[in-house]
Amino acid sequence: MLSSIQSHIPSWTVFFQAFIALVIPILIYRVYVRLDNLGEDKLSSSGSANIESSRDPLVADYDDNMQLIKSRIGANSDVVIREVTVGGVVKAALIYVKGMQEDHLLNMRIIQSLKEMDAQIPEQIMERFPGSSAHAVSSATEFSQGILIGFMALIIDGRKEGLLITPPQCPSREVSEPVSESLLRGSRIGFTEDLSINTALLRKQGLSEDLQIRSCLVGQTIQRELAIAYMDHIVNPDLLREVNDRVAQIKLDYIAESGYIEQFIEDNYLSPFQQVQNTERPDRVIAALLEGRVAILLDGTPFALIVPVTFSMLLQSPEDYFERWLPGTLLRMLRFGAAFISLMAPSLYISFISFHPGLIPTELALTIIETRQGVPFPALIEVLILEISIEILREAGIRLPKPIGPAMGIVGGLVIGEAAVQAGIVSPFLVIVVAATAISSFSIPVYSAGITLRILRFAAMLFAAILGMYGTILFFLLIVCHLSKLKSFGVPYISPFTPYRWSDWKDFFVRVPIFLMKKRPKLMKTMQSKRK
Amino acid sequence: MRSLKAASILFMALSLLTLPGCWSSNEIEDLAIYSGVAIDEGDLSEVERGLEEKGGSYSKQNKITATVQIVPLKAGTKDEVKGKTSPYTNISGAGDSLLEIFRQFSLRLNKPIIGHHLKIIVISSQLLKERNIKQVADFMLRDNDIRPNVKIFVSQGEAMQILTTKLPDEVPSFFINDIVKNQFRSSKIMDPVQMTNLDALMYSKQSFILQTIVQAKRQLAFSGAGIIKGETGKWIGHLTEEDVECINWLTNASSSGIIKANNEEGDSIAYEVKGMKTRIRVHTEQDGRLIFQVRVESKGRISEDWSVEGNPSLSSYQKEAEKLFEQKLSMMMDHLLASMQDRYKVDVAKFCEIVRIQKPQLWKKVKSNWDETFSESTVNLDIHVNVTDYGSTTK
Repeated sequence: MLSSIQSHIPSWTVFFQAFIALVIPILIYRVYVRLDNLGEDKLSSSGSANIESSRDPLVADYDDNMQLIKSRIGANSDVVIREVTVGGVVKAALIYVKGMQEDHLLNMRIIQSLKEMDAQIPEQIMERFPGSSAHAVSSATEFSQGILIGFMALIIDGRKEGLLITPPQCPSREVSEPVSESLLRGSRIGFTEDLSINTALLRKQGLSEDLQIRSCLVGQTIQRELAIAYMDHIVNPDLLREVNDRVAQIKLDYIAESGYIEQFIEDNYLSPFQQVQNTERPDRVIAALLEGRVAILLDGTPFALIVPVTFSMLLQSPEDYFERWLPGTLLRMLRFGAAFISLMAPSLYISFISFHPGLIPTELALTIIETRQGVPFPALIEVLILEISIEILREAGIRLPKPIGPAMGIVGGLVIGEAAVQAGIVSPFLVIVVAATAISSFSIPVYSAGITLRILRFAAMLFAAILGMYGTILFFLLIVCHLSKLKSFGVPYISPFTPYRWSDWKDFFVRVPIFLMKKRPKLMKTMQSKRK
Repeated sequence: MRSLKAASILFMALSLLTLPGCWSSNEIEDLAIYSGVAIDEGDLSEVERGLEEKGGSYSKQNKITATVQIVPLKAGTKDEVKGKTSPYTNISGAGDSLLEIFRQFSLRLNKPIIGHHLKIIVISSQLLKERNIKQVADFMLRDNDIRPNVKIFVSQGEAMQILTTKLPDEVPSFFINDIVKNQFRSSKIMDPVQMTNLDALMYSKQSFILQTIVQAKRQLAFSGAGIIKGETGKWIGHLTEEDVECINWLTNASSSGIIKANNEEGDSIAYEVKGMKTRIRVHTEQDGRLIFQVRVESKGRISEDWSVEGNPSLSSYQKEAEKLFEQKLSMMMDHLLASMQDRYKVDVAKFCEIVRIQKPQLWKKVKSNWDETFSESTVNLDIHVNVTDYGSTTK
């Protein structure tokens, strides 16, 4: 009896394997949770909020006010204080930051009108200034901040408030074509570094009372203006609340670029995939807003953020919609294919060459054998050599000055590829694979998504080198598992693929004719499902 | 301190992943791909004889000789290959187990041989006279490197010679593999028997034919087919090229080819088949014998006419020509039937399928003894040739 059972008890190796198979996933999970928790406190770790209330009001006495202002910002070499007398009697001072008030004609007129003004009726002084943004502030903090932002400020004796009279005229870049997202067909306008211009560009996309732009200041030591744009009556209120909450939680001394915000508000900082889309194109932002998404614009950067983002958005280009639906669909499919090639081609090469020679057509196998004769490295090293040099070349191409950049890229690519083949370090077939990979990765319309695929490509190559096709498929499954678990602001990353929403497939792999796309994406759970 | 510990554990886990290296990895250029195999009667090759004299042998009986064709074994640049060396290398070994012979090659080659790209197997008819094809092909069927779509041929004479045929810049195994694609031009090429078919045929004990390859002066040709008797699995005889053609037409496997007849003056007149359709019905006679009614319908054009006087554009002339072709075709068919029913007593033209489909009850009874039943049955031919066309010239 006992012996008959005994024969069915597996040997210790089976138990050991079972133990390993149990322990390793748990270990990986615990490490992941530990790392994830690190990210949890990133939002609240950098000190408490520093809310400066208007505890230091301006007083009626001119000298006291001047003292206060001078002690705050007067020591700066670029702060200009110009004392004048209003109507020849009342003491007053114009304060501004050099370089922010370049309109000399306007300045002269202001000074002129101050001098000629009747000192007895200072209440009407506001109406006399040209420009629309003149307003009064009563707190010294607000006042000095106004000056530093670029306003021309005025202090008049006897008044308990300071006047900010002309808005900043900071030099800014002209509106130009977006460099990272240029199109053949479509508007050639891109955002600039100036938030007010950017919001104006959004407004200029079309007239709508629903387009709401709310701004707030972010950053603790250096403050910057941030605007959240959305479509009223379309956006899901929960999403909007979530965005506001996450933005409000940002605690950092200085927000240099919208990338900072992206990293603060993203869901999973361990994921290689971006969960916030950045764009330079106002038309892209408006299209996203109409789908019920929310845009975040930051002063000082031409990159606006769009949340939430789904995987398919990273492979879509505005041109898909501007062209007719057939070419649009074709181009989109092409991009999906290119993304696959860009991710998998080198790893497939490795697995075919090193593990599965039987899967290559015979004639091709013979050609490869012939070309690989004398290549001293295994396929992985061979691919790594060429891939890394291409990556370096690409990185160098960005740094190089414009006139020699492209030439250098071509020369570098050609010379390195050709020389490596001549020297017998790599096989000519690999040069084709690597070139196809590089070209494919350029066809991805969102630059940062391209970087993601570049990182993952190297991981895929390692998997392929260890386990061959099996490893490549494992890697692909791993990516798919991760993607299906990933969420961006509560929206599953690969929807409408999973969760499966058939109606959203109209704008996924294919782009159906526009008259069929009458509804907003279901996955956004918008307030208004019909486009009207 | 804790994070350092965690980091070191992570590092060790990662290195555990990479240290095993590349499992079962084998770079493609370090492998020797063999594209063809020839199997002959056991006979030591010159090289082997030399090796054996020096003591290079193992315990074996020389029952078969296996030759593998390796492409391209030679390391070198393209120009070299083009100029001097041949694009393939053959290596032979004798023994009593194919696997053992193949493993023995590892002692004589610098690269392991792999069978993923095996295209053809040529077995000599001499070997198949003595041995069951199952014994010979068993390793190929079991080996999971070798694809099931490998084509199998028999050779008149040494199979090894077929693979050593000197064709400029050609690998004989690929060459043979490509000849099969000419089927649309000639109905003398039969559908190749693949490894999967062979498996089925062998276990159902059906008789079947394998395309024969002949070789002369280092040139090869497809010519007819060898008959493998189902019960014994041995080669029992040879069918001519016309026989194979007729089998292709009877089984509707091909609707191409030509029929060449001679008129009264002895001038050749050639009919190019554009369509060929065969319908066979089977009846039983009172005494239990089977009667097959074979109706062959063909249409095509007169593509060549040597007769000086004849005018193919005349319908009367066409009628005459049709008669000639019908006679010729029935002569060819009769020759085939005589070979099958009288000489070899086998059915290799799939008459069994007809019975199986049309008379399933009867088939169950005659299945075990089909070849004999077929040999005793009557086959009635009813041939209709229809000339639809006489080419681009009237005269």
